[in-house]
Amino acid sequence: MTRWYEDIEPGDRFDLGQHTFNEREIIEFSLRYDNQYFHTDPELAKHSHFQGIIASGWHTVCVGQRKLVDSLFAEEERLRARGQEPGVSGPSPGINEMSFKTPVRPGDTVSYVLIVSNKRVSNSIPGWGLLFNRMEATNQRGEAVYCAEFVGFSKLRDFRPSFKQRLAMWAAKFPLLRTLFKK
Amino acid sequence: MSNPVTKNFAHYEDLRVGQQIDLGATKLTREMIVSFATRFDPFPFHLNERAANASLLGGLSASGWQTGAIALRMLLENFPEKLASAGGLGFKNLRWKRPVMVNDTIGGTVTIVALRRTKSNRQWGIATLDFDIRNQKGHTVMVMVLDNLVDVRDPSAPLEETAT
Repeated sequence: MTRWYEDIEPGDRFDLGQHTFNEREIIEFSLRYDNQYFHTDPELAKHSHFQGIIASGWHTVCVGQRKLVDSLFAEEERLRARGQEPGVSGPSPGINEMSFKTPVRPGDTVSYVLIVSNKRVSNSIPGWGLLFNRMEATNQRGEAVYCAEFVGFSKLRDFRPSFKQRLAMWAAKFPLLRTLFKK
Repeated sequence: MSNPVTKNFAHYEDLRVGQQIDLGATKLTREMIVSFATRFDPFPFHLNERAANASLLGGLSASGWQTGAIALRMLLENFPEKLASAGGLGFKNLRWKRPVMVNDTIGGTVTIVALRRTKSNRQWGIATLDFDIRNQKGHTVMVMVLDNLVDVRDPSAPLEETAT
């Protein structure tokens, strides 16, 4: 996945690995960010319709992000080992849609898969492309945990900036000039 | 049906469209940013200044997932009463508009933009929450629209929009 924009095609599928959630980490994350009784207290959680403690959805998504980043680095290593220069992944501008399907309970193992659904060159940032990816998280019973549409930046390998773009990129090194070009 | 834990929490009937929750303020220190990113989002541009300065973000900044997690915490802490939530259904149109840089302070508002009962389960309603997270300069750093299930106090009430 840390491939160049040009080497990624719609339909490409990446297995990001899996994670088993234990009760301690579910409670620890939730106490910090999502302090609701069915995420933090195994006894009280029995009264909820979940009938037991479940992970915060945000937690399951954050672990998915970790799996994604780990996979990017692993791919980078593989490419370097083959003597190839890896591409560059940028930050994400956002998530179009995220649906939580099945709760994650202590002991559940979640597998994460990323499927490239589309790509295009960025209109706003020269030299970068946008990848539209579908993330699917599934538990050990094959039930969907969540699915999401991600957007991510990926650097172009074969980018030749126009004279105007080269001038803007050079000017960006100097704060005063940068403000001129932003207008 | 009655849940002793949430008996005195705010239920679906207690919410109204247009209700706005002020999220207060949270400062993101370098230590908070690096420790979250180390665990969940270890891109070099969230971990060290050199990589960050060379990246699209232009400096060391928080993982967008951390911004969202803190927004969630601020919502739960600043909601006037505890909410009889029955879990999140998901969210749409999450956009990280600007990076949250070291020592930025984030806050903002969450507005209830829609309330509807679910036909499939009379026990719950869906509250649609519009997040507008801003930095100390008042610039929006993150937006998202989240749907959350909320317990209905009286499931036998007819399925119509609650009065706003």
